[in-house]
Amino acid sequence: MKTVAVIFGGQSTEHDVSIITALASVIKPLELTKQYKVEAVYIAKDGSWYWDEKLKDIKLYQSGEIEDFMRKAPKVHLLFDNGLTLVKSSQFAGRKMYKKIDVIFPAMHGTHGEDGELMGLLEMANVPYVGCDFRSSTVAMDKVLAKQVTESAGIQGTPWVWFSSSELSSPRKILESIKRLKYPLFVKPAHLGSSIGISRVEDEKGVMNALEVAAHYDDKVIVEQGVSNLIEVTLPIMGNIEPVPALLERPLTKPEDFFDFDMKYMQGGKKGKGNAKAGAQGYSEIPAQLPTEFYKRAEQTGLDIYKALGCSGIARVDMLIDGKTGKVYFNEVNPLPGGLYAHNWRKAGVSSVELVTKLLDFAQERWQAKQKIATSFSTNYLKQF
Amino acid sequence: MFRSLLAMYRPQFAITIVYMLQATEYQINSYLKWLWRVQDFSKVTYRKSLVKTRHSKTLLFAVKVGMLAQLITALVWGIWAFRNENPSLIFAVDLLFSIPLVWTHLVVVPLLLGRWLYVNPLSAFKVRHSQKIFRDHPGIKIAVAGSYGKTTMKEILATVLAEGKKVAATPANKNVAISHAIFAARLKGDEDILIIEYGEGAPGDVAGFSKNTHPNIGIITGLAPAHLDKYKTLSTAGEDIFSLADYLKDNVYVNEESEAVKPFIKKSYKLFSSQEAVGWKVSNVKTSIHGVSFLMKKGTKTLSLQSLLLGRHQVGPLALAVALAEKLGLSEEQIKIGVSKIEPFEHRMQPREAGGAWIIDDTYNGNIEGMLAGLRLLKELPARRKVYVTPGLVDQGKDSAAIHHQLGKAIVRARPDLIILMKHSVTDGIIRGIRDEKYNGQLVIEEDPLNFYNNLDQFVAAGDLVLLQNDWPDNYN
Repeated sequence: MKTVAVIFGGQSTEHDVSIITALASVIKPLELTKQYKVEAVYIAKDGSWYWDEKLKDIKLYQSGEIEDFMRKAPKVHLLFDNGLTLVKSSQFAGRKMYKKIDVIFPAMHGTHGEDGELMGLLEMANVPYVGCDFRSSTVAMDKVLAKQVTESAGIQGTPWVWFSSSELSSPRKILESIKRLKYPLFVKPAHLGSSIGISRVEDEKGVMNALEVAAHYDDKVIVEQGVSNLIEVTLPIMGNIEPVPALLERPLTKPEDFFDFDMKYMQGGKKGKGNAKAGAQGYSEIPAQLPTEFYKRAEQTGLDIYKALGCSGIARVDMLIDGKTGKVYFNEVNPLPGGLYAHNWRKAGVSSVELVTKLLDFAQERWQAKQKIATSFSTNYLKQF
Repeated sequence: MFRSLLAMYRPQFAITIVYMLQATEYQINSYLKWLWRVQDFSKVTYRKSLVKTRHSKTLLFAVKVGMLAQLITALVWGIWAFRNENPSLIFAVDLLFSIPLVWTHLVVVPLLLGRWLYVNPLSAFKVRHSQKIFRDHPGIKIAVAGSYGKTTMKEILATVLAEGKKVAATPANKNVAISHAIFAARLKGDEDILIIEYGEGAPGDVAGFSKNTHPNIGIITGLAPAHLDKYKTLSTAGEDIFSLADYLKDNVYVNEESEAVKPFIKKSYKLFSSQEAVGWKVSNVKTSIHGVSFLMKKGTKTLSLQSLLLGRHQVGPLALAVALAEKLGLSEEQIKIGVSKIEPFEHRMQPREAGGAWIIDDTYNGNIEGMLAGLRLLKELPARRKVYVTPGLVDQGKDSAAIHHQLGKAIVRARPDLIILMKHSVTDGIIRGIRDEKYNGQLVIEEDPLNFYNNLDQFVAAGDLVLLQNDWPDNYN
């Protein structure tokens, strides 16, 4: 039986979302397969790593007992031994517990996880891991880089500009730069997901405030022009060489009510009508009821974006459609969709158990392909010294 | 072993004892058999727990008081003996450790006494009293008997006939003599039709019910191995069920689609099936996950009917209900409306949509005929992926191995992509049938049924069709 370590939590604004993804959408179905031994690896908000069976219980986090747990539990060390081994003190007689990991299932959203940092670590450990590799994660999670890469691949995006946070001290220069964009504008931190720090700006007056909000979360801020007759859609995709789309999903909101974090995760998508349990699954139309031509175009664009960014394993591509012209614009890519977008996959005919199983297969397939690539080269360079 | 022993000394053990009694419907033999079979008491209440009723609360209180009294006695005696270096200390220790053993057995004493001194005489009185009520009742009394399908038949009849008549029927699966007596006591006397379900359990039961309830019409829904712990053979069960026909002589309707009833059929009986019922011809049967539709013709009359019940096997009982309703004077419109109002009964071929998947809950199906009917539906309905789940059947007597072998083969013929067997004593028999039929799909043996059922949503996706058949009662573990 293979051992899968699910890594979640992390030093990110999406720490709590990550816990839910890990516990409900990854660990639970993985354990139901009975084909894998699942180890829960939790990264606390201070960056400490823990590994324990108790970390699989949501009550630990809900009740706040996690603080007590962290005070008592030994922290985890990572051993790179042509693979990855978890090491922790057994707390008895100086003994240590070791657990060799066969596959890693990262369930960390946002900074240090989804942005490729964790994947870089796993890449160095030469252990198979689920989801996009560190290169595509890095590009996908940087909205500026992602725009540049997709544009160079001929994929249409809305007009945009970006600023580093240090540039905010020159408002005049900034306002001058965005003059070529039409309102409404969307101001976003370049690296964050889950709609954190995003503002919709109707006119010039709100621009600086929105930029400051975004810069509070990130040192890179992107300003994008809105799309007229907006239809917002998202498409979960999985696979390596031949990616497969799930169903095109359309959030059921008015254009002026774009999703912020609160709406996406806390209110089930309906402002003022709280149903925290509905979460990211309570507000969408699946499949999106669009003219067939629009649907097919968006689906193909989604697949093109996935390939252009070099995604593998799983990702979710967000797109904007002009409801009149049918033009599809790239919006952003999420390399680790919240809850794996299991609700969408279920409707597309992939159960949660199948989903996690397939993702593990993709991880191992990619890793095996990588093993065929030479990583060393014999020279007599050292002998010259 | 240690954990099992420890479970007997936990405070919750009193609840476990009463739960076991409740789960066996306070049948002392079944309770004792289960008790002596249990290897780990900590797992007894894993799936279900004690339902707090007046009876169970009283019993629980009595057991707790008794256990506490024994504990205090043992402790006081032990302390006294220890201080006085009295050799009777060993008896005090014995008394302490024997608490579970004593109370698991002593608990049946008040039940036995209560049954002999109170329940049985009172029940006998009520049943005797009900005989008069049934005899004097002016309504038409329809008795429904059979190893399977009787609750469904009763509900179909009640729903259809209620469109034009005042109907009373025995509730849910309350189908033994005392249930009939309670039902009789609640009748107002102005009902046009009474529908009484006969729940056979041991030889002589159906003959007794017939004598008590004085039926005018009898319906026999089928014969299959059930309650063979008491009947021993299918033939004995058939004789008991057909004692209803012997009582009535005529006005007996028998489901001819049940293979096992054939040796019992006499010329005077009227037969019904999914092709014909009492002179009505059935045609154009169409099934889907949303129900069944069919045409019925007799002379110049044609009825187009639609029901929410699932499966072709429902057409026979529906057709009989239509035929009887017409005979009893209901209009065509009333019959059509009545048939359309019949909804799937809880846990009996009950469809449920879950995220685009269809799950057919047939977990109250406990006989081979019903299982085969469900499997035929699984084969017939279109789906992206078909999943079949069962623990097998209990109470199949000496034919259990053969029946489960037959079930295994039938499962394969329904062509599921995935078979999930809940691990029990009969699993190997089903697997033999599956292998003999050369199944090439995926077979999973599930050791934790509760966990599986609780997480079913994780296993299914849009386009899946899942058939869950039968649920293994705890007292058969």
